[in-house]
Amino acid sequence: MIGLDVTIVFVSLFLVFIFLGFYGKYWRRGNLNHVHEWSLAGRKLGTTLVFFLIGADLYTAYSFVAIPSGIFAKGSLYFFAIPYVMLTFAVALVTMPRLWTLSRERGYITASDFVKDRFGSKTLAIMIAVTGIVAELPYIALQIVGMQSVLTVMLAGSVNSQAVQEISLLIAFVALAAFTYTSGLRGATLTAVFKDILIWITVIVVIIAVPISIGGFGNAFKQVNQSYVTLPDSLVPAYATLVLGSALALYLYPHAINGVLSAESAKKLRKSTALLPLYGVGLAILALMGILVYGVPEAMNFLSGFPESTRGILVVPSLILFTMPGWFSGIALLGIFVGGLVPAAIMAMAQANLLTRNIIKEIKPSLSNNSEIRITKISSTIFKFIALGFVFTVPATYAISLQLLGGVLIAQILPAVFFGLYVKSLRKLPLIIGLLVGIGSGIYMIAAANNFGPLSSSLFKTYFGPLYIAVIALAFNLAIAFGGSAILNKSATSQKKNQ
Amino acid sequence: MRAKYVILALLILIPSFVNLGVPIYNREYPELIGLPFFYWFQTLWLVASAGFYLAFTHIKGKEQ
Repeated sequence: MIGLDVTIVFVSLFLVFIFLGFYGKYWRRGNLNHVHEWSLAGRKLGTTLVFFLIGADLYTAYSFVAIPSGIFAKGSLYFFAIPYVMLTFAVALVTMPRLWTLSRERGYITASDFVKDRFGSKTLAIMIAVTGIVAELPYIALQIVGMQSVLTVMLAGSVNSQAVQEISLLIAFVALAAFTYTSGLRGATLTAVFKDILIWITVIVVIIAVPISIGGFGNAFKQVNQSYVTLPDSLVPAYATLVLGSALALYLYPHAINGVLSAESAKKLRKSTALLPLYGVGLAILALMGILVYGVPEAMNFLSGFPESTRGILVVPSLILFTMPGWFSGIALLGIFVGGLVPAAIMAMAQANLLTRNIIKEIKPSLSNNSEIRITKISSTIFKFIALGFVFTVPATYAISLQLLGGVLIAQILPAVFFGLYVKSLRKLPLIIGLLVGIGSGIYMIAAANNFGPLSSSLFKTYFGPLYIAVIALAFNLAIAFGGSAILNKSATSQKKNQ
Repeated sequence: MRAKYVILALLILIPSFVNLGVPIYNREYPELIGLPFFYWFQTLWLVASAGFYLAFTHIKGKEQ
């Protein structure tokens, strides 16, 4: 059982969080009945705020839960998250300022807006919107799993812990839905800054205090086998392709693009992107907690009370609870809790934009501005509760594996979105076929790699060793998109000659 | 002008090459405060790559 001090600090900080969310409405006032005001905060965010907002996309439950959990269970392979975040900003520096500039000129709110305008294809634009919405859902579910892990650790040993946990999550989501509905991205941005302050305090204190209390990192590494110390040679191709595939995919997610487009200028966007690898230092520290915990017997003892499959996701909150004073645990645990809540808000908002602008409006072009913003706000609320319902009905480990599938799917929109920015020769039909083949082959390989059972691996065994499926599927997709476009362009020029 | 684009490309390609070149950093020694090389190198490389990217942004920024 946890002490009262943990709960008091946790609950009071949560109230501050909710207040900030609602206060966002009055912050840098704009007419929130305009889509770009509500979902892009009026495109007025400077270097620092974009840094925090996109940082919130990075510092999600993925970093608090999935990565430390993977390191705890499987070892060094999961440290791929660190070079992945470095590489993803290189990708972003090359692609995002260009997307930003085009969006400002032509009023795009989503990547699908760009694709429709660039290739003149409703079909392709709708397919990209659907891929974005589907890939985002398990990502939101993963955020909720992260929040659940905090509550599980806090409520361990108390009566009715399951019911209390579900009610707490429901309250948190109603509050979140209410403030995103009224404040839009402004609320999410303010709460993102608040969340980041708590998280940074947590990682800095933990990385100094825990190694000292267990007598150095070396002692934790003594408890684990060699596959935690360095990467086994057989996993090097897996590591490199996980880095590559994840780095290419991050800035294709609707929420990341949403954050990018809220920047005030391309220059400020570049600057905050260049600084974002520094954020990764915190991610590295969180990842290391998956190993540090082996040096803390009390935490290991506590974790052994849970089934093996769920231990991983509880690593970070348990480590904090068993090494820090109560009041500090309250701060840190709330940081992790809202660390899932803020990205969930931004993700649901990005999904809602895609649904309204790129699907509903395509089908019903007469949609008025007022109805557009209303449908966007309502659907963003619905998406949050779909994800919540999903987490209540399926086991937590399943949410993490579906997120792997989400990554494979979202990577397939890369040819149209990234190459569409620079390559003039691309044509819509090969892009559509490439997308379908990429998604189809990706789903097949994921199913085959897991023997058509529950998903736990996103690696496919090849001649070169196990490779990340997103990268293999993307290779097929790119070959079709570029090969097909080359054939179409060649036949078009030869037809011209004949005339 | 061409030299500028070569520099810009290198500022993106060098950190990317290191990140994808796993054998470069997949080793245990030298350790730093008890951390294997694999872990501390990648963590410090985050700071270095921010440096590369800032230089990229700086050169790019002058052009507009």
